[in-house]
Amino acid sequence: MSAAGAALRLRGGLTQRLVETARRWPTYMRVAAGVLALLVVAGLLANVVAPLDDTAVDLDHVLEGPTAAHPMGTDEVGRDLLTRVLHGVRISLVIAVLASLAAVAVGALVGVLAGTLGGRADAVLMRMTDVFASQNHFLFGVLLLVLFRPVLGGTGAIMLAIGFTHWPSLARIVRGELLSVRERPFVLAAIGGGASRHRLARRHYLPHLLPAVGLAFVLTVPHAVFHESAYSFLGLGLEPHQASLGNILADGQRSLLAGGWWIALFPGLALLAIAMTIGTIAEYWREHLHPRWRSELEL
Amino acid sequence: MLKLIARRLAVLPLVLLAVATVTFALTEISPFDPVEAYVGAESNVSTERKAEIARAWGFDQPLHERFGRWIGNIARGDMGHSIVAGGQPVGPEIVSRASASIALIGGALLLVLVGGLVFGVLAAAFRGTVFDWLVRTSCYFNTAAPSFWVGLLALYVFSIELGWLPAGFTSDPRSVQSASIDFDHLILPMVVLALTGYAWFTLYVRNTLLEVLREDHVQFARAQGIGEVAVLLRYALPNALIPFVTLTGTHLAELVGGAVLIESIFGWPGLGQLALQAALSEDIPMILGITLCASVFVVLGNLLADVLYRVMDPRVREAAA
Amino acid sequence: MSALLEVDALSVGFRTRRGIVRALSEASVAIEPGELLLVVGESGSGKTVLAHTLLSLLPRNVDVAGSVRLGGTELLGLAPAALRELRARRMALIPQSPASSLNPVRTLGGQLIEGARARGLSEEQARRRLRALLGELGLDFDFIGGRYIHQLSGGMQQRIVNAMALVGEPDVVIADEPTSGLDSELVETTAAQLQEISARGASLLVITHDLRLAQRLAGWIALLYASRIVELGPTAAFFEAPAHPYGRELLRALPEREGKSIPGMAPELTALPGHCAFADRCPDRFDRCTEALPDLYPAPDGVLARCFVHAAR
Repeated sequence: MSAAGAALRLRGGLTQRLVETARRWPTYMRVAAGVLALLVVAGLLANVVAPLDDTAVDLDHVLEGPTAAHPMGTDEVGRDLLTRVLHGVRISLVIAVLASLAAVAVGALVGVLAGTLGGRADAVLMRMTDVFASQNHFLFGVLLLVLFRPVLGGTGAIMLAIGFTHWPSLARIVRGELLSVRERPFVLAAIGGGASRHRLARRHYLPHLLPAVGLAFVLTVPHAVFHESAYSFLGLGLEPHQASLGNILADGQRSLLAGGWWIALFPGLALLAIAMTIGTIAEYWREHLHPRWRSELEL
Repeated sequence: MLKLIARRLAVLPLVLLAVATVTFALTEISPFDPVEAYVGAESNVSTERKAEIARAWGFDQPLHERFGRWIGNIARGDMGHSIVAGGQPVGPEIVSRASASIALIGGALLLVLVGGLVFGVLAAAFRGTVFDWLVRTSCYFNTAAPSFWVGLLALYVFSIELGWLPAGFTSDPRSVQSASIDFDHLILPMVVLALTGYAWFTLYVRNTLLEVLREDHVQFARAQGIGEVAVLLRYALPNALIPFVTLTGTHLAELVGGAVLIESIFGWPGLGQLALQAALSEDIPMILGITLCASVFVVLGNLLADVLYRVMDPRVREAAA
Repeated sequence: MSALLEVDALSVGFRTRRGIVRALSEASVAIEPGELLLVVGESGSGKTVLAHTLLSLLPRNVDVAGSVRLGGTELLGLAPAALRELRARRMALIPQSPASSLNPVRTLGGQLIEGARARGLSEEQARRRLRALLGELGLDFDFIGGRYIHQLSGGMQQRIVNAMALVGEPDVVIADEPTSGLDSELVETTAAQLQEISARGASLLVITHDLRLAQRLAGWIALLYASRIVELGPTAAFFEAPAHPYGRELLRALPEREGKSIPGMAPELTALPGHCAFADRCPDRFDRCTEALPDLYPAPDGVLARCFVHAAR
């Protein structure tokens, strides 16, 4: 590395390090990251970017196709679809991120408990994990929604339904990683040298587990986006007036017979963009975390 | 082999017991009041009448007794009474709706398997070409696209705009035998339900094949002058098929969940739609019943996959023996 | 008589992310019918690439220059169908690892017959010939046929691939590291089997890093170092008195001789020097060795050696 590059790294604030990392990305990663950043910014600034009130009813402009004034058209009560979609992106992303955090927390907790307690506790926890994993998580989520929506409200119940169904695979990974890192020579040496539990956890276990947990989080987000929108679409999630992407799609379903295809098309495109960009980034990260032998010889 | 099947079937009741326990615990934790749900929140049913209903359903019993009785009832096939079925027992209602779902899920699974296999093999055979790129890109797109959104678009394009295919129900509702399942009604929901799985399976078959194609035994087959088509189909494919089979078992669970969405979009009167109706009317016995049935389905699917896996891979077969 | 297999100025390079890996540089060898040629070198010296080039089993990111002729037919750039035909009818490979060279989930019978049929035999002929060949090697075709490769011992696996190589009565047999992972006793057996294959009239190309095996085989030897042939001559002469310093040091490193390994490392194939590649490790190095690349010069006993020591002759 050149002297200038080294100096840059020394000064390296987070932004600079990010820029440096981004410089090594292949084009498709830059596109994915750019589109995602755009979606996040547009969602966060929905009130600023989208000039129109997302609840403003305009009965003179009902079910109008895309025009210059309404690039995505208007819905059955004349609300601007672009505004609603941008709000939907924000709501869906926020809920998906929180729900994924919940799922990751449950998975990590079960995995750490199983991996450190060992013995019978481990066996019970893992059998429990198997039972959960063999469930259809969508259907199970529906059950949770019905049971807990009255107390937690739509948002809370959705987080529960996603958090409580998306943890088994991470629990298995965390447990497996813990068991394998404990057998590594340097950790055995640390144990032999009388390192405290606290020190072991901080110096050896945590650095080993964090990437796996982080990756699991990113991989869960697109799932959470899908589940949130699907539940809302079915009428089991957020309140109908909330502009989540799933709710807009439910409006879209009603408008289809009246020819309002744009109400079904655009929110779905937003969902697709979120899922594809996050998915691409997660896959790229996975490849880098576990650089499997990728043939340089073929393709 | 029979031992394995027997052992796995013996585990099935345990899995169901575990599922039943978890769901029972959840219904207990939740503040959800089944009596309120039954009579409806706004109804002016008297408190005495509610207590009567609660007694009739056994809600006034202590926790462990209720649990024991509930498990006992399930074991006898009695899963309670359903609101959406008009107070009728859950079991028969599930059975009467099952055929529509089985046709839909079975058809979709068939499409997933055949489509995934055919396009996966073709993409691997023409790796690096435009065809391969098209298949891969469409698959990435399909894995990310929400199935219910694709369903809406398909409904709009093929039923509403083009009018090629019917938009819902298993058959023409005006016809005499409206309980039958017509193929033209099945096409759209079946294809849409299959799309996500098709995409995963295609990518999976392609990538596994490319991995196997690098293995020694494939190189050796080529060295003997065996043609590329035979190498792909007879040397690489059998090995790639083995993990494919296990994937099929797990994918069954995904199809069951996907059916809830697809059936609701296409008005397909199967278990998925029933589950949604039950959820919307907070009909807990029906949801629990469907969850349990889905568990049985999934466990059986996994068992089938495991058995096939052993039949196909001699190494595993011996290790198990 | 013209050579059966002629390799002329063959260069093979792999395009990788680390740059171009020069696996083989301007290698020229020729094998007469019925001859045995040993290609010896350390791992990473390019010898397996030679086998794969001859069989056209190279991956796509490869650049090949030069010429490979089998019975006068140029193999490089030949249409896939014609190549397959040549591979099937005139060549055979004895793979490096028999255990992983047969499909693990198919029974052996089907694979053996499929291999034989690819060589142009009818089902009937294939069965007959396999039965005979395996019988000679002490194996029963009917016993083998219903089994999977992992169910057999290493020795049996080796004999099966030997039989598969002979079933099409090939002109050229290429044995790729036939002793990798074998103990000395089995090396003895393998050497005997190879000699016998050679005695049947096929030309035999044996690729190995195993000097224990090379020592037991007659014929010619080509010594590879850093992608180039550094010594080419009769095997007996090589083991008596190698003409190239690398060959000499290699023999001295044998445990039964001095057991003194050569200091230093072979150069990276991505960054081969413009001068003699062995110069850095050579005890006889002089100025010229680090200035220019030596040709193959004639040494005593009909040997060619890529060393300036022989340049004056």
